[in-house]
Amino acid sequence: MKATGCLLVLTTLAALGSSGCGPARRGVPFGPPLHLTERQKQGQVLFMRECNGCHPGGAGGLGPGIANKPLPGFAMRTQIRKGVGAMPAFTEQMLGDAEVDAIVDYLNALQETPGPL
Amino acid sequence: MRSDLLRRSAFVTSALLLGGCFHLTAGDKTREEFQPPRRIDPAAIAVPDGYRIEPIATGLTYPTSVTFDDQGTPYVIEAGYSYGEDFTEPRLLRINPDGGHTVVAKGAHPPWTGVVFHQGAFYVAEGGTEGGGRIVRITPDGTLTPIVSGLPSLGDHHTNGPAAGPDGALYFSVGTATNAGVVGPDSANAESINWLSRDAGFHDIPCRDITLRGLNFTSPDPRTPAPDDTATTGAFVPFGTATKPDQVIRGRVPCSGAVFRLAPGATSPELVAWGFRNPYGLAFSPEGQLYVTENGHDERGSRPIFGAGDYLWAVEPGRWYGFPDFVGGRAVNQEWFKPSGQEHPPQFLLAEHPAPPPQPVAFFGVHSSSNGVDFSRGGTFGHRGLAFVAQFGDQAPDTGKVMSPVGYKVVRVDVGNGVIQDFAANKDKGNGGPASHLGTGGLERPIAVRFNPDNGALYVVDFGVMTVLGKDIKPYRETGVLWRITPTGKKEGP
Repeated sequence: MKATGCLLVLTTLAALGSSGCGPARRGVPFGPPLHLTERQKQGQVLFMRECNGCHPGGAGGLGPGIANKPLPGFAMRTQIRKGVGAMPAFTEQMLGDAEVDAIVDYLNALQETPGPL
Repeated sequence: MRSDLLRRSAFVTSALLLGGCFHLTAGDKTREEFQPPRRIDPAAIAVPDGYRIEPIATGLTYPTSVTFDDQGTPYVIEAGYSYGEDFTEPRLLRINPDGGHTVVAKGAHPPWTGVVFHQGAFYVAEGGTEGGGRIVRITPDGTLTPIVSGLPSLGDHHTNGPAAGPDGALYFSVGTATNAGVVGPDSANAESINWLSRDAGFHDIPCRDITLRGLNFTSPDPRTPAPDDTATTGAFVPFGTATKPDQVIRGRVPCSGAVFRLAPGATSPELVAWGFRNPYGLAFSPEGQLYVTENGHDERGSRPIFGAGDYLWAVEPGRWYGFPDFVGGRAVNQEWFKPSGQEHPPQFLLAEHPAPPPQPVAFFGVHSSSNGVDFSRGGTFGHRGLAFVAQFGDQAPDTGKVMSPVGYKVVRVDVGNGVIQDFAANKDKGNGGPASHLGTGGLERPIAVRFNPDNGALYVVDFGVMTVLGKDIKPYRETGVLWRITPTGKKEGP
C-alpha cells in the first residue's frame, strides 16, 4: 500500500517533470527582462553561486536544463536537498531552507517567461 | 519484488525529472563535424532589444584579441597556433574599413593570445607553446621588441593578457602547464595538446615554496612505443618523476598560474597573485579593480577533476587562489569533484596551503571556457560597470562530457552580485551551441571582447570553427570573424 502510494506519487512527478517540454527560458537577449521580486532576486544570486555552473542560466550544460520543467516546489526542494546522480545534495549548512525556497521561487519565475527564439 | 519495482520506478522518475526533454546520455554531438565554408549571418544571433550585431572582418585564422589605436582603428591578432596542434603564423593585422586587413607584423612564440594598444605601441602576449612566453612591444611600423622573455608557458596553457592598468603598468598572466598539477599523457596527444613530445621536462612551477604530500600517479608512458609502458609522476615535477611526502618544491618568479605586473620601463615582472589554473582574460573595471577570468579544471589526465566551473575573480595582490587543491574557492577533496568511475574525489597535493583562497565574483558554466573580458565604461553603449565575457564554448568530450553545449556566446556579469546574463547568443529552439552545429551563420567560438575607445561599440573576436571528435580537436583556418555590437537607440537596462 505504502509502496503503491509512493509509486503513484513518483509516476505523477515524472509525468509532470517530463511534460514541460518547452525550451528553457534563456533570458535577455531572447525576451523581455525578468521582473523579479526581492526574494526571487535573492534566489537568482544564490542560483548563480550554487547552480549556474551545471545549469548555466537554467539551461543545460554539465547537467540538464532546469528552467523548462514546471515541477512542483516540493520536488525541486527534494532534488536540491537529496541530490540526484552527479548532482550533490545541498545540506542545510550549505543552503538554509529560506535560501532553497528563494532559489525555487526564482526558477518558477524563469519558467513563467517565454523560451528562446 | 515490490521494493525492487519501487527502486526502478524511482530511478526512472529521477531521470525524467532531471532530464526533462534532454537526452540523458551525455556526449552531445554538437561539435563533431563541419563542412566549409563558414556561413556568416548576424540575423542568427540574438542581442538585447536596442542593439545590433554585424560582421566587421571575416576569413581570419585563429584570431584571439582586438585592440584600437588612438584613432579608434581596430587591430586583431591571429594566434599562429590552435589546440589540435595546428601551427600557422602569428600576425598583427590592421582591420580596414572595407573589412580587409593589412599585416602590421608577423612573429613567433605562438599562440599570440592578447594585444593591447598602450602609449603609442602594441603590446602582445606571446603564448609560448613554442619557445616560451614573451611580452613583446610592436610599434605601428611593425618593429617587434621583446620586453619579457622566458615565461614558463610551454604547456597546456599560455602567457595571456596583457592589460594596461590605471597605474600605467602592464598586467599579464601565465597559465599552468597541466590540468591539475601533474603532467600526464593528456599533454601528449598529437590531435589535441602535444607539448610533452616537445618539452618532456616541462612542469608546473610554484611562485612560492610549497611542500608536497608526495602523491604520485601512474599513467601510460607516451614517451615509449610500447603501449603497456607506464610512468609514475608527482606534482610540480617533470613527467616520470616521483615525489616524496614533505618534499619541498622551491618557488620562483616567473611561475605558473599567476598574474604579473610589469612596471613602465621594467623587463622583470613582479608577482601580483598566484594559485590560478588558467587566468586568461584580464581587465580593469572603471574603478580600477583588476579582474581575471579563470578556466577551471577538466576531467582529463592523471588527476581529473569533475564539475569545475570557470570563474571571474577580483584580483587581490598577494593572494593565493587555490591551485592545485581548490576550485573556485572550494576544496577539491569532496564528492562534488569526484570523476565518474573513480572511487574517491581528488586528494590534496599540498601538505599545507598558503592561506584560505578567496571566493569568486562569478561562477560560469562548467567547461564554458570563459575567456576574454572587458568592462563597459558607459557612454552610448550603456551598462557601465558590467563585465562582458566571451565564452569560447566547451571542448567536450576531450575536457569532459556535457549534456548540452556550454558557452559559444557573450555574457554580461554584474560584479556586485555575480549575476550572469546572456548578451549575444545564437538563436535556436534547442540547447544552443556553435552556429556550425545549428546550421546557421551565427557565433562559433567567441574568445575575446573589447569596447572601442569611446565605448560606443563592443567588438567580439570569434576564433572560428573548432570541432571535437573524441580526443581529436580540429580547428579550421580562415573561419574567424570580428563582430561588432552597437546600440541602435532604445536600450534595455541602465
